[in-house]
Amino acid sequence: MSATLTSPEDAAAPGARAGGGPASATTVATPTLRALLRRSSFWVIAAACILAIAIIAVLVSGGSQAAGRALAGDNAAPAGSMALVEVLRQQGVTVTLAGSLAEVRGAVGADSTVLLYDENSYLDQSQLSELGDLAARTVVVAPDFLALQALAPTVGFGGVSDAETLTADCSVPAASRAGELVPGGDTLSIPQGEHPLVTGCFPSGTDTFSLVQVQNELTGDLVSLVPDPRVFNNENVTGYGNAAFALGLLGPSDSLVWYLPTLADLPRTGPPSLADLTPGWVTPVLMLLALVGVAAAVWRGRRFGPLVAENLPVTVKASETLEGRARLYARSNARLRAIDALRVGAVQRLARTVGLGRLAHLDEVIATVALITGRAPDEVRRVLVGAIPVSDAQLMELGVALQALETATSQAVRAGAPASASSEIFPPPAERMDP
Amino acid sequence: MTLSGRFVLLLALGAVPIVLFGPSVEAAAGVLALWLVFVLLLGSLDLALAASPRAVSVERMLPARVRLGESATSELYLTNTGRRRLNAVVRDAWQPSAGAGLVRGRVVIVRGERRLVSLTLTPFRRGERRVEQVTVRSLGPLGLWNRQASLNAPGRIRVLPPFHARKHLPSRIARLKELDGRTSVMVRGQGTEFDSLREYVRGDDVRSIDWRATARRGDVMVRTWRPERDRRVVILLDTGRTSAARVDNEPRLDTAFEAALLLAALTSVAGDRVDFLAFDRRVRGRVQGATGAALLSQMVDSMALIDPELIEMDWAAVPGQVRAVTSQHALVVLLTSIDAAGASTGLLSVLPQLTKRHTVVVASVLDPATVLAAATRGGRDEIYRAAAAERALLDVARVSAAIRQLGADVVTASPAQLPPALADRYIALKAAGRL
Repeated sequence: MSATLTSPEDAAAPGARAGGGPASATTVATPTLRALLRRSSFWVIAAACILAIAIIAVLVSGGSQAAGRALAGDNAAPAGSMALVEVLRQQGVTVTLAGSLAEVRGAVGADSTVLLYDENSYLDQSQLSELGDLAARTVVVAPDFLALQALAPTVGFGGVSDAETLTADCSVPAASRAGELVPGGDTLSIPQGEHPLVTGCFPSGTDTFSLVQVQNELTGDLVSLVPDPRVFNNENVTGYGNAAFALGLLGPSDSLVWYLPTLADLPRTGPPSLADLTPGWVTPVLMLLALVGVAAAVWRGRRFGPLVAENLPVTVKASETLEGRARLYARSNARLRAIDALRVGAVQRLARTVGLGRLAHLDEVIATVALITGRAPDEVRRVLVGAIPVSDAQLMELGVALQALETATSQAVRAGAPASASSEIFPPPAERMDP
Repeated sequence: MTLSGRFVLLLALGAVPIVLFGPSVEAAAGVLALWLVFVLLLGSLDLALAASPRAVSVERMLPARVRLGESATSELYLTNTGRRRLNAVVRDAWQPSAGAGLVRGRVVIVRGERRLVSLTLTPFRRGERRVEQVTVRSLGPLGLWNRQASLNAPGRIRVLPPFHARKHLPSRIARLKELDGRTSVMVRGQGTEFDSLREYVRGDDVRSIDWRATARRGDVMVRTWRPERDRRVVILLDTGRTSAARVDNEPRLDTAFEAALLLAALTSVAGDRVDFLAFDRRVRGRVQGATGAALLSQMVDSMALIDPELIEMDWAAVPGQVRAVTSQHALVVLLTSIDAAGASTGLLSVLPQLTKRHTVVVASVLDPATVLAAATRGGRDEIYRAAAAERALLDVARVSAAIRQLGADVVTASPAQLPPALADRYIALKAAGRL
């Protein structure tokens, strides 16, 4: 009763005493969180260091994605065009990197230049026509068939240039200022005859050119076709007159839209995808289910304390040597050896049954058994010694015959005169004093 | 820290608000994040409110020993020394063969109080069973997250051999009593001594009439004899490698224990002195000079910890060990296994030394499976098995004959029959006055 009246501080004390002196010395085997952290501090710190080094390494080498997109304005790799874009920006040109036609539409002004490099032919004819109408100057790098169809139907492909040098040889200011271009690369061809609105520069043959400029006769918009993209990339822009040519072609206006079409330009066709049809909650519910799975694994997998070890005895059956010997006999077809063992055992038992003693001679046993059972002595001798089994069937027949002989003998002995001699020679001591 | 099933369920319930309030992916992801925060907060709150499982002191009450096949109660007193009310599940980490099962105690302990967690142990293996730790899992008020710690609370219980053979004891004691007061014994030897004179009743052996006393009393008196008392019996147990083999799903060693216990119980009733020795290359267990109830309890106690060793029995040291126990004439019982002649050479070589001074009985388990296999002759495999079994039985018979030739006695029986057979042999020897 007094315990209920004491204050909480006092109540703890008798409780501790009730626990007994030795009980209060219970030590805890599980380390505390703090001890665990201290013990594993090396690994924690090591892991943190490795993580930090990895992050720093990624940040340092961040820009140089090994390949990147060819002619991308933010790609410093050899195939990119970051050098050109940066120089243009230093010259005061506003360069806008666009990834879709919609972005181009938003960025282009009245007096803008648009560079198009459609490496994967994402744009269709209508998009290309629209693009041609958007800006006053359009530079198409490596135009494909559709681009030529849409923007300069008169121009065709001219194959790979085989000229040693490419010199301007025309009146386009950018071309004449550059003088010459990197040799080789694709060319375009202008058909024979007078085409007042089409100008070809850097000829490699009679009518193949590395720059073709087409002027729209209604609007006066200029479309420049440059079949060789190497002119603009970081690797080659400094060679020959490439830099002067590129700056001259792209730099006349204050605004340049650097347009590399992406998948966003592809028109969406066909039925709606699975993602469009599923409700918004499906993905979060799947994530939740994954978390539930993890939590359930922790719930069921967490052990209730450490495992308890115990040394267990080996289980050896005593009859294993017997089995092994039996299989050895069977595998080596040791019929004679097997029947010998059976016969010796049987003869000893028979001798005991008929009251002859363990050391009785075999002939004696045979004669006595034949007499008692009424069988022919030759037959008894055949079973007990004579017959040599040459097949497993004979072995089995002999084994069964031995057993039958033993049974017959013991029955005959029991039926006939009680073999008192045997019980005197082998007195079972346990039975002697039974009440 | 551990999770509960309730926490997993709560986490899974988050699917409901996600479906209800998440029409779009973003909204659903937001609801998921909110739900996770909510659930984690609840869990942390629960964890913070749970009582510390470390603030528990443990006191253990255990019986020192239990007989194999019987049950004991392990009592665990837990005192809550912390500030909060402890609501916990307790696991007492017994070794598996202590037979504690997967029982987990559930306790609620108010601060400063003590509670009992009891556990029923039903060991299924002889020897010493240990427990090292108690694991306490403290549940929070919400039952979501739990705190868990293992406390050191060592304990041990000794599992004694079952002594099933004690059911044979009453009949054997009765038979022993019959030896007292018999007028004549089969062979009157050293082991019998004069008891008393009594009046002749019809049926008494006329050879035991004491004529001198008859003349004195004027009535026919006969002498009675009783078995001599205070003889020495040395039970020597072979704990070498052959004792590990299992016969009838019981190691030979355990059968030998049963036989030794029955013999010791009988011997102490008969008034003889028993010394027990378990030996392979060194002494594994020894009981000397104990009598009455102390004898059996000391024997089972030392037997509990004996396991078969994977080494060959050192028979050469056995005479020395027996000599160290007693220099008088004694009944030496060797509990070993009789196998092939080759394996028994050690035993045969030292028997003459023992039989010169003592009466020696060699007791061995006979595998009933061997006897059965020798009599089964169905198919090809069985006939070879029968041959192998017959060969094994012949080996045993040969070794037994050799042992008898060296003057020792042999008792072989199946595991169930060996203890009473050995006891009967002891009574027979006592009746014959050969002790």
